[in-house]
Amino acid sequence: MAGDLNQALNISATGMDVQTARLRVIAQNVANQDTTGSSPGADPYRRKTITFESAMDRAAGVEAVRVKKIGLDEGDLPLRYDPANPASNAQGYVKLPNVNTFIEVMDMREAERSYSANLSVMQATRSMLNKTIDLLK
Amino acid sequence: MPSINFLFSFLWQIRVMDPSRIGLFDLAEKRLVWTAQRQSVLAANIANANTASFQARDVNSFASVLAGAGSIEPVRTQPTHLAGTTPTGLASLITNPPKARVLDGNAVSLDEQLTKVADTETTQALVTTIWKKYVGLFNMALGRSS
Repeated sequence: MAGDLNQALNISATGMDVQTARLRVIAQNVANQDTTGSSPGADPYRRKTITFESAMDRAAGVEAVRVKKIGLDEGDLPLRYDPANPASNAQGYVKLPNVNTFIEVMDMREAERSYSANLSVMQATRSMLNKTIDLLK
Repeated sequence: MPSINFLFSFLWQIRVMDPSRIGLFDLAEKRLVWTAQRQSVLAANIANANTASFQARDVNSFASVLAGAGSIEPVRTQPTHLAGTTPTGLASLITNPPKARVLDGNAVSLDEQLTKVADTETTQALVTTIWKKYVGLFNMALGRSS
């Protein structure tokens, strides 16, 4: 019984873990939203994406979560006319990162919400564990 | 050998005082196991709230667990067949049809799951409180201050 509760704690911990990884990717995207290449016509920073998958815990029959893949967003790179930039091509256009701040902020809110949901499950589980232990007193 | 006799009577008393032979303790223990299992299933649902095409699950209601609808085992027609893998727990998992799915196919609704968590926690608090009260009654009968 206490084993089940400990398992619940572990599962919530994996949930918080993947949301942290997601937040790290978002931070990377936002920090690099103006990172262009350094040589003429070079590609700039590409937005990173993160996907999750459920990982079966065979002994328990329940599914924890883990990061499946950190991939690249292959969307179009916007162009800006800026001949003075070292990364500008022959026509004077610079490729900019395909990071959209609004999408990143929305993603961040969702990560935050999922993280706090996992945290409240963890708190509930801990209080249940404490109540069970209190039976010994 | 009076000491041996004493030991035997002591052991017999322990056997009589087996808590799971008392109806209420037995029921409370089952319910505590059920809440713990439900909690871990709900934790898995919430941890997978952003996993593509994940479907939220729950355990069977406690009433149906008590009625004997536990985990389903495959029937063995030959004694040499393997028993198969069945969940060892008290309650079996059920999957209700989702009310809504988001674009990536995920069908976990966070508020619904958190409500279930709160419900499980309340149930567990109730059971532990009743357990303590009942132990208190025993202590009172034994003349101890609980």
